Amino acid sequence: MYDLGILLQIVFWGIYAGCIYILLATGLNLIFGVMKIVNFAHGEFLMIGAYVTATVFFLTGFNPYVIILLSMLALIGIGAVVERLCFRPILGTSKLNEIFLSIGLIYIFQNGAAMIWGDEWQSIKSPYEGITVPLGSLTVPLDYIIIMGVTAIILCGLYLFLKRTKTGREMRATSQNRKGAMLVGINVERLDILSFGIGCGLAAAAGTLWVVSGQVFNPYMGSIPAVKAFAIIILGGLGSIPGAIIGGLLYGIAENGAAYFLGGVWKDAISFIILIIVLVIRPTGLFGESGE
Amino acid sequence: MNFKRDEMIRYGTIAAIVLAVVAPFLSGNLYLLNILSLMLIFIIFASAWNLLAYSGQGSLGHAAFFGIGAYASTLIAVKSGISPYITIFLGAAVAAGIGILIGLTCVRLKEWFFAMVTFGFAIIVQTFTVSVLTPVTGGWDGIASPRLLSPGIPGYQLIEYYTILMITIASVVMIWYILKSRIGLAFSAIRENELEARAAGVDPVRYRLLAFGLSAYLAGVAGALEIHHIGYITPEIFAVDLSFWPVTYVIFGGLCTIAGPVIGTIVLTIIWEGLKMAGLTFSRYIIVGILLILVIIFLPKGLVDLPDKVHTWWKHHKKPKPDQVPLQE
Repeated sequence: MYDLGILLQIVFWGIYAGCIYILLATGLNLIFGVMKIVNFAHGEFLMIGAYVTATVFFLTGFNPYVIILLSMLALIGIGAVVERLCFRPILGTSKLNEIFLSIGLIYIFQNGAAMIWGDEWQSIKSPYEGITVPLGSLTVPLDYIIIMGVTAIILCGLYLFLKRTKTGREMRATSQNRKGAMLVGINVERLDILSFGIGCGLAAAAGTLWVVSGQVFNPYMGSIPAVKAFAIIILGGLGSIPGAIIGGLLYGIAENGAAYFLGGVWKDAISFIILIIVLVIRPTGLFGESGE
Repeated sequence: MNFKRDEMIRYGTIAAIVLAVVAPFLSGNLYLLNILSLMLIFIIFASAWNLLAYSGQGSLGHAAFFGIGAYASTLIAVKSGISPYITIFLGAAVAAGIGILIGLTCVRLKEWFFAMVTFGFAIIVQTFTVSVLTPVTGGWDGIASPRLLSPGIPGYQLIEYYTILMITIASVVMIWYILKSRIGLAFSAIRENELEARAAGVDPVRYRLLAFGLSAYLAGVAGALEIHHIGYITPEIFAVDLSFWPVTYVIFGGLCTIAGPVIGTIVLTIIWEGLKMAGLTFSRYIIVGILLILVIIFLPKGLVDLPDKVHTWWKHHKKPKPDQVPLQE
């Protein structure tokens, strides 16, 4: 009934959208693993990353794919400050406090960005705009392929960092057992800052990729992707990075399918409908244990 | 001390009510009256959110019930011609019914999951409003809503204000009554330790659903009041902003207290309007955000805890040094 080409196109777009969700969800997962907190304001870091990229691009005209490193570094710094000033003091108090604190952060970041950059929709043009590559039966923009490549490189880098370095090993130890890690002499507070920073850096990468693909952005764009990323880690299991990757891809595809078959307004709602159905069947998520 | 405290609360309450009653006469400014009316409506909304939080459920999508109450009341009033005075409560009943339905899916969820589902629910409702339900709701353009009173009646704003004030007082008293009863006890037992509550014979699911229904009902009342006060409704009513405001108000005033939402709403409205007069736009939100974070970190029980905090600090500072303590026989 439906053309195979269109289905392939939907899947391809879905994978591209999924890349941004994967980066966000992986960052959230890293932070959750080490600190056992959930930052609802994670999308604001995506938004700031997007603006940093756009600003540097407007000022210098560098290739935006190079600026990704700069925006990640900037956001690692901002993330470390936010962790130290806001989340450290409330670690170990009621879980609701994290949610409430995130609301404060959302107010601050969204309106701070609106003050600095204005609140209109903006967009930038990628240097490779308009170049398409034939891929099997479809022709796809070169940008989308580069974005998938960049995402893969970042994820591989993160994997190597977690598996091969001493800090990465400490991080994994802390997320398995925080008290045990403390007992063997790991400075968990340093890892808190580090993991929060890296999580924000991944969000900044997602923001940069969002911008270079030509999508519009404004100071309020971050909330919805962040909440979707959060939905993804609920589905994929809290703290499980492979779960975040698979969940992110499935979400991107489902969302694009819904937008095509049901109409654009359903794009956001469909992910929450999936989420609610899953949670009705399994209140702790698809692969989650106790949710603790 | 305890006696004095009770007295203070009693006089404070009476003073607040008297002030609210005479407020319109202190200044004939209609703009001020409008702000006061909206503030009262948000007191109901924040109290409704707080009632749900009292049973340990922090919702991030209360705008859904606010909006459902508003839409239902408007549509009933438009289609049947019944006075908005009655449809407010019918619309709120619709909100409560839907609240219980969505409650069925999320009463067993942990904090984060719960926050997520409620947040998503507001977005789903908004999507339905602008897609499937467009023929009734007018889509993104919204529809006109009948005013509480026709603007032709002399002094209609004053009557509207007193109506809202009475509903606000009734709502707060109702919440006070519920929280003082066995139901309130069950709510806080579930909030503090679900396992122990269950061991003591409290059925968490039933009580959480009850909290959900009551909270959605009051949120619906607040939403319907606001819309009949403004006279127009659009799907913007389901926006994230409206879900976050009651949370901000309650955290500011004091989570899980009866006075918290009231005090938080009043204080924040004053700050908000003051900053507006000072000509600030975006930075208003930044200031509120910073204040919110400061309150969470340094005053975890909110502003209602401030007198106690100051009192302890005062006693601590006035306490004489040990070598100066006079000997006591």
